[in-house]
Amino acid sequence: MFLGKVIGELWSTRKSTDLDGKRLLVIERLAMDPSEAEVTPVVAADPLGADVGEYVVVAFGKAARVAFGGDGDFAFEAAIVGIVDGGHVPSKDWFETYKKAQES
Amino acid sequence: MYLATVIGQVWATRKETTLSGLRLLVVQPFKRADPDNASTMVAVDTIGANVGERVLVVMGRAARHSIGKGHDIGFQCAIVGVVDGAEIDGKRLGQTAEDDGASST
Repeated sequence: MFLGKVIGELWSTRKSTDLDGKRLLVIERLAMDPSEAEVTPVVAADPLGADVGEYVVVAFGKAARVAFGGDGDFAFEAAIVGIVDGGHVPSKDWFETYKKAQES
Repeated sequence: MYLATVIGQVWATRKETTLSGLRLLVVQPFKRADPDNASTMVAVDTIGANVGERVLVVMGRAARHSIGKGHDIGFQCAIVGVVDGAEIDGKRLGQTAEDDGASST
């Protein structure tokens, strides 16, 4: 489970039927060191309706499957389980700038 | 689940028996910076992707499920979708690198 920022969205027609009707968002994990922020972004299914630019909590594995209403077998393993309203990490200004972005 | 580009195909004759009949593709995960320096992965193709196409790659149980041989398979990485397009950091990505910047989906 990690805290990330929605940086984009993607569309797919030829895909596993398990992914039908699911919104897929591209999410970048928040990194303590900006130089480590170039990690591979994760694609997560979104049951909540997050927007680009919002901070989200992403769960993997069983937690992600449960977020879609059960522990069935799905052909994806990452899902958004929370949209962040605010927070505080003393050493970083993530949420301070986030709030500004929301107000503007 | 990751966004990746198919960069090639790989064949193997001597392999784990549960892998027989599976199409193995070499994929390169998408990175926001330095795209040429990304590591590569081998993924089972369940959807019929071609070299150059952008795809969705899943790992672990989701991958074994989509490969469709129950859960007993010696592999944990699979392609579950071909991406039509994406918008990341406000930039358009197409199905292939050549389609980048195209205005319609």
